[in-house]
Amino acid sequence: MRRTTAATCAALIAALIAALGAGCATSGTSETEQADANAPAAITWWSTGGDDESAAFQKAADLYTRSHPNVTIKVQTLAWDDAYAKLLAASTSRSGPDLISGGMTWTIQFGLRGGMVDLRAYGIEQLQAQAQPAQWKSAVSPDGTIYGIPLDMSTVALYYRTDLFEKAGIKEPPKTWEELTTDIGKLKKSGVKTPFSIDWGNLDWIGYFNFLYQAGGAFYTPDCKPSLDTPQAEQALSYWIDLHRKYGAPTDTVTTSDALDQGIAMVYGGNWNALGIDTSKPEMKGKWAIAPLPAGPAAPTTFIGGRAVGVTSYSKHIQQAADFVKFLYTDEAVDAVTAESKARNVSYIPPRPDKVADSPFTPEHAAVFAEIIKTGAAAPGCPGWDESASDVAKQFQAAILGKADVKTALAEAAKVMERNAG
Amino acid sequence: MATHAAAPRQRWRRYGTSYLMLLPFLGLFAGFLVWPLANSLYLSFTKFDGVNAPRFEGLENFRRLLFDDDRFRHALGNTFIYVVASVGIGTLLSLGLALAFNGSSWPHRIMRTIFFLPSVTSSIALMLLWKWIFNPGDFGLANTVIAWFGGRAVEWLATPGLTVPILVLMSVWGGMGYGMVLYVAGLNTIPQEYYEAARIDGAGTWQRFRRVTLPLLRPVTTYVVVTGLIGAFQVFEAVYIVFRGTNNIGGVLDSGLMIVPYLYDQGFTHFKLGYASAVAWVLFLIIFALSMVNLRIGRALKEL
Repeated sequence: MRRTTAATCAALIAALIAALGAGCATSGTSETEQADANAPAAITWWSTGGDDESAAFQKAADLYTRSHPNVTIKVQTLAWDDAYAKLLAASTSRSGPDLISGGMTWTIQFGLRGGMVDLRAYGIEQLQAQAQPAQWKSAVSPDGTIYGIPLDMSTVALYYRTDLFEKAGIKEPPKTWEELTTDIGKLKKSGVKTPFSIDWGNLDWIGYFNFLYQAGGAFYTPDCKPSLDTPQAEQALSYWIDLHRKYGAPTDTVTTSDALDQGIAMVYGGNWNALGIDTSKPEMKGKWAIAPLPAGPAAPTTFIGGRAVGVTSYSKHIQQAADFVKFLYTDEAVDAVTAESKARNVSYIPPRPDKVADSPFTPEHAAVFAEIIKTGAAAPGCPGWDESASDVAKQFQAAILGKADVKTALAEAAKVMERNAG
Repeated sequence: MATHAAAPRQRWRRYGTSYLMLLPFLGLFAGFLVWPLANSLYLSFTKFDGVNAPRFEGLENFRRLLFDDDRFRHALGNTFIYVVASVGIGTLLSLGLALAFNGSSWPHRIMRTIFFLPSVTSSIALMLLWKWIFNPGDFGLANTVIAWFGGRAVEWLATPGLTVPILVLMSVWGGMGYGMVLYVAGLNTIPQEYYEAARIDGAGTWQRFRRVTLPLLRPVTTYVVVTGLIGAFQVFEAVYIVFRGTNNIGGVLDSGLMIVPYLYDQGFTHFKLGYASAVAWVLFLIIFALSMVNLRIGRALKEL
């Protein structure tokens, strides 16, 4: 009797799974029927970021509508915290926005799973000449498909307290690694408790990225083999560790404005801080400046991130949406977004290096960002990098916190990258 | 035969209206709970990236999860330590507070309200507050207090050894007020005669507590522990808001990685929705088994 009941239960479960399987198997990728290209099109763009950024992009959208009266574009904001989950839900249900923008690799990740359109079919390559080369490369998927293109840029600068520099007798910001550590010593001597900290990329692979490329290394070889077993990779990690353990950089992350306000003399911070410090810390006005990161033994390379924009494969207006993406690189679109960003105090760096000098920062700050971007490098676009990034960062954390030596940490990180490369 | 046919009709006449009134709830329950649960059970046997159709893989997700996944084991270990510490300390402190403030005087009522406040405050707001308290540098409250006594600032959120203790502290502080209210209700149901009888028999304060209060509070304790266990196993916001880094949900060196944040990480940042579903079902089985053990222990103690 008991055996019969067990068998019945097993059969029921099997039936349930099979039934559900049959039910679910129908959901999946399918071609979305396209609306008539001449009929009115209402395009929705889910833009990851803040409301002010969406309002700035809306200006470009309105300009496009002016020249294409049949097409209306509505930009809707997704907060960074839950954007990824919402975009995934939209992809799963194959209903949602026509355009999405978010982290640089997001369009690739959704694209490789069938959620985005290959924009090469719509002549998107013609924009490559206008873009920052490294950033463009990082937006292209490993197989060459273009699921999204850079929408804007973000980068890292050295924020420093001019008053503390003066007190320590330092005339200008450090230009090399040696000068950075020398200045840390001078600042310490002058009474600064914490001379240096890292905001963007602290204990993360982005933090290491700057040192690695400045030392002449890279995460991968050009043919996408992990390349962390080099003397450059070791030199970069040793220097980064020293900044924490020998020169007192905090392992806990302090935001740039708070760090400067607390009397930390130098901070590696993201470009978005440049517009916020005087507003959030009015007492800091006139006491800080920015400069490019100190160069390493090989180069002054700095990390460039940003957001990518692409067209979803479930859009009914792919042609119009792709055409609008191209429009975003025109002078008038970039100028409109820049003007609105200026009005709303949004730290927008356009994806076109020739337009960075006009970005909404002060002319001095815009000039610094333009200089940084000239030698900027972007995240590796190699297969498996996205899956590896957090585990790689953990190896660096172990080295900084003294739980692994440099060689072991790098070897373990390389193993992770190799495993995920497939 | 006629009686057999009449019985369902009679039952329908008697309960039909009630069943009809239950229908809207049953519809919602089936649509928004049973169906997603059944779907997630199915997905746990598949490889599903959220975009392409799921591919049936049998028990592969469970095999990988239980035998090949070091990160899951790490999350499981962290979660067990967190659950034991937060439920254990939380229950003891709840009982202590209830014993201290179970009267009907105004000071007791005010104290109970104060301790209960975190339970009715938005958990997101509370977590942001904790993040501010443990902010590094001079303006974080914890470091400010340390500085008053001449101590050195502590890097609270970037010291792996402090992560679980901080999570336990946040959980205990936020949950003990709720447990206290339940214990106060339990204490008020204990007839005073029992205490009087114990006193006449010569029982001291400790003996009265051990032999009268504790045994009679057993149903409340079981409830507090079981609901505490369920809540603690599902900890998410605290890790996500306070410890999440740019690329890593579990904080420095995954020191705060728990099962639900790991599930979220797999499902919503790595596109492994089938695998994440398997994690969810393993979590369900763990909670179910522990709750059963707890209820059995409660029943066994009652029979002693």
